Amino acid sequence: MALTDTAPETDAPAAAPVVVGPDPSALGSGDHKTVGRMFIGGGSLFLVVGLVLALVANIERIDLAGYSIVDDGDMFAQLWDLSRLMIMFGGVVPILVGLGIAIVPLQVGATTLAFPRGAAAAFWTWMVATSIALLSVVLNGGPGGGQTDFVVLWVLAFGTMLAALCWAMVCLGATVLGLRASGMTLDRVPFTSWSMLMFSFLGLVALPIAMAELVLAYLQVRYGFLPFGERQGLVGVMDSLTRTPSIGLLGLPVLGIALDAIETHTGAPVKQRKVVLGALGAMAVFSFGGAVLAFSSFGRSIAGDNALLVLDTAAVLLPPLVVLGLGGLSLRSGKLTVRTPLVAAVLAGALFTKGLALGALSVIEPIVNFLADVFDQSWTVADWLQLGGSTLHEGVRALAMAGAVLGVIAGVHHWGHKLFGRALDDRLGLLSTLAAAGGGVLWGLAELIGAFIDPEIGVLAGLTDDGVPALAVLGTAGAGLLAAGALLLLLNVLATTAGGRGSAAEPWTGLTLEWATDSPPPVGNFAEAPVVTSALPLAEEA
Amino acid sequence: MTTSYRPTLPAAVAVAEPSRPRLLVLATSLASIGFVAGYGALMAMYLAERAAVISTGETWLPAGTVIPLTQPNFMALTLVWSLVSMAWAIAAINNDDRSNAKIALSLTLLFGLGVLAQTGYLLFLMEVEIAATRAGLLLLAVIGSHLAILVGAMGYVLVTLMRLFVGEYSSRDTDGIWAATVFWYVMVGLYLVLWYAVYITK
Repeated sequence: MALTDTAPETDAPAAAPVVVGPDPSALGSGDHKTVGRMFIGGGSLFLVVGLVLALVANIERIDLAGYSIVDDGDMFAQLWDLSRLMIMFGGVVPILVGLGIAIVPLQVGATTLAFPRGAAAAFWTWMVATSIALLSVVLNGGPGGGQTDFVVLWVLAFGTMLAALCWAMVCLGATVLGLRASGMTLDRVPFTSWSMLMFSFLGLVALPIAMAELVLAYLQVRYGFLPFGERQGLVGVMDSLTRTPSIGLLGLPVLGIALDAIETHTGAPVKQRKVVLGALGAMAVFSFGGAVLAFSSFGRSIAGDNALLVLDTAAVLLPPLVVLGLGGLSLRSGKLTVRTPLVAAVLAGALFTKGLALGALSVIEPIVNFLADVFDQSWTVADWLQLGGSTLHEGVRALAMAGAVLGVIAGVHHWGHKLFGRALDDRLGLLSTLAAAGGGVLWGLAELIGAFIDPEIGVLAGLTDDGVPALAVLGTAGAGLLAAGALLLLLNVLATTAGGRGSAAEPWTGLTLEWATDSPPPVGNFAEAPVVTSALPLAEEA
Repeated sequence: MTTSYRPTLPAAVAVAEPSRPRLLVLATSLASIGFVAGYGALMAMYLAERAAVISTGETWLPAGTVIPLTQPNFMALTLVWSLVSMAWAIAAINNDDRSNAKIALSLTLLFGLGVLAQTGYLLFLMEVEIAATRAGLLLLAVIGSHLAILVGAMGYVLVTLMRLFVGEYSSRDTDGIWAATVFWYVMVGLYLVLWYAVYITK
C-alpha cells in the first residue's frame, strides 16, 4: 500500500546546484551535522577518559586495605566520582545529544537545526566546562575535595556543563516541534526524533533541578557551610540523576535509536506505533518523577516509606518492556541480519531494561522478602532504597551505562554514512559491541552479587572486605571491557574519517526521511522541503 | 558562500510550501520550562528547610532580620504593570506602530530597573547576614537567583528593543517581541511565587 503522496509536478531542475552557506567543515560551522559530530567526538574522548578512570578505580578496589594507586579513601572517592561524571555528563549524554543534533533535522525533513549556532555555542561551552571540571578534581576539588577554591570551581563547571546541555536540548526540542516537514504530525515523527524530543523535555526539567542544587552547593561552599568532611555529599547532585528511576533520561534516546535500527535492519515496521510513542512519553514522566523524588530527599537518606518513589521505581520499567516487546515482534517478523547497529541496538535495549528491572525488583516488597528468605538475610525495601552509594545502585548504574554506550555504538554505526560519509567497519563494530556488552554484564554482575551478599557494602568499603576479591576482579574486567568497547568505537570512527577505512557505498537505507538525501547530506539537507503523509515516507520507494 | 549540490527528493516524497515556524517563541518557551523547574527546585529547598526548622519550634529568620512589606508589594505592583507594557508592545507591533512598541519595551526596562533598585534597598533593610545562618544563605539563594533571571529577562528585552531600533519586526514578524514577552511573563510569575512564599509568609 502506498504510504506517501506521489511527487507533484515541479519546475525545479533535478540536481541543480544551489547556493548554500559557509563551509561546513570550518571550526566555527553552524551546520548541524558538523556540530553533532563535534559533540560525538568530544563526548567520545571524555567517555574513554571516564571509563579508563573507572577501570583504575576498580583495580584499586581489588585491595582497598593497602592503597597502591591513590593515597587514601578520600582520593579513591574522588576518582570514583570523577569517573562517573565523565562517563555520564562528559560522555554518554553529550554523545546522545550530538547524535540528535546531527540526525533529528534529517529525520524530520528540516533543512537545518533550530538555532544551529546556538548549538555550536553549547558545544564549546560544554567542552570548556567539562575540561575545567576534570582539571578541578585533579587539583583536589570536586566532591570530597580539600581545596575550597577548586571545589567551587567544580560546582561552577558542572553547573555550566548542565546549562550547555540544556541549551543544546532546547535546540533539539525546537527542531522537532517547529521544523517538522509538512504533513509530519507528531505521531508520524520517527522514533529517534520522538525519543530525542522526550529526552529534551526530560532534560529541561530534570537538569535544572540539579543546577538548583549546585546553586545552593556553591553558596554553602563559598560561605563555609560545607566543611571538608561533608563535601562528599556534593556527589548527591549527580546521584539523584543517575539512579533508577531518573536514569531513564539515558534510556529514552537509546530505545528510540534501537527501534529505528530494528525497523531499518529487519525491514519490518514496528507495530502499534502510537503505543510505542506513548510508552516513551510515559518513561519520560516516570523518570522525571524519580528525579523530583530523589531530589526531595537530597542530603537525607531516602526513606523506605516513600511510597511514591517505590511506585515510580517500579513503574519506570513498564514503558521499556512495552517498547522492547513491540520491537521484538518486528525482529520476529523481519529479516534478521548480523550487523553492528542491530546487534548493538538489541543489546542496548536489553541491558538498559535489565538495569531498570533490577531497580524495580529491589523495591517490590514480596520480591525483597523472597530474596531475604533465600539468602537468609533480614533485608527490607527501606534497606535497598537507603543505599544511595551501595553496590546495588552501582550495579544498576553499570548496566544502564553499558546500555547507553551500546546505544551510542548502535546509533553511530547506523547513521555512520550520514555522519562521516563512509560506513564504519562492521567487524570492528561487532567487536566493540561484544566488548561493551560483555563489560557491562560483568561489571553489573559483580556489583549485584556483592549487593546480594551484603546490601550494606558501599563502594568505599569495596567488595573485598567481605571476602570476595574475585568479584572485584570481575568488576575490573567488566570496566576494562567496557572501556575497550568505547575505545574501539573511537578508533573505528578515526580510521573511517582519517584513514579512509570502511565502505564509501551506502550499506543500507531505511524508510524515514534521512535516507531520502545523500550520504553525507549536503548543507541544507534537502533540495526541496518534503511533504509526508505517513510515518514511513520512503516505504513506497523501498 | 560556497556552492553545493543538493539532492532532489525521491518520487514518493512531495515538496512542501515554505513555512515560517515560530522557532524563537518555541525555544524561549522550552528554556522557560527549564527556568521554572530550576527556580521551583530552589524554592522547594527553601520551603522544605523552613518547614523543618519551624516544626522544631524555632524561628526561621535570624534574630534582628525583618522583611518589610512595602518594597516587595511595590515590586509586585511594578512587575504587574510591566505585564501591561509588554502586552502593549505586542499590540503596537501587531498594528505596525513601531514608535509605541519602542516606548512599551523601554517602559518595561524601566520597570525592571525599578525592581532591581528596590531589591537592593530591600536587602539593605533586611540586614541579613548571609554567612551567619542557613536561613540567610537560602534567602540569598532564592532572592539572588530571581535577580539573575530578572537581569536575563531585561537583557532579552534590551536586545529586542535594539533590533526594533535597527528596523526589525513588523506585524508580519512579531516573533522576537512575543518571545521576549513569554520570558518576561515567566520571570514575573516566578517573582509572584517569591513574593508570596518568602516575603508574605516569611
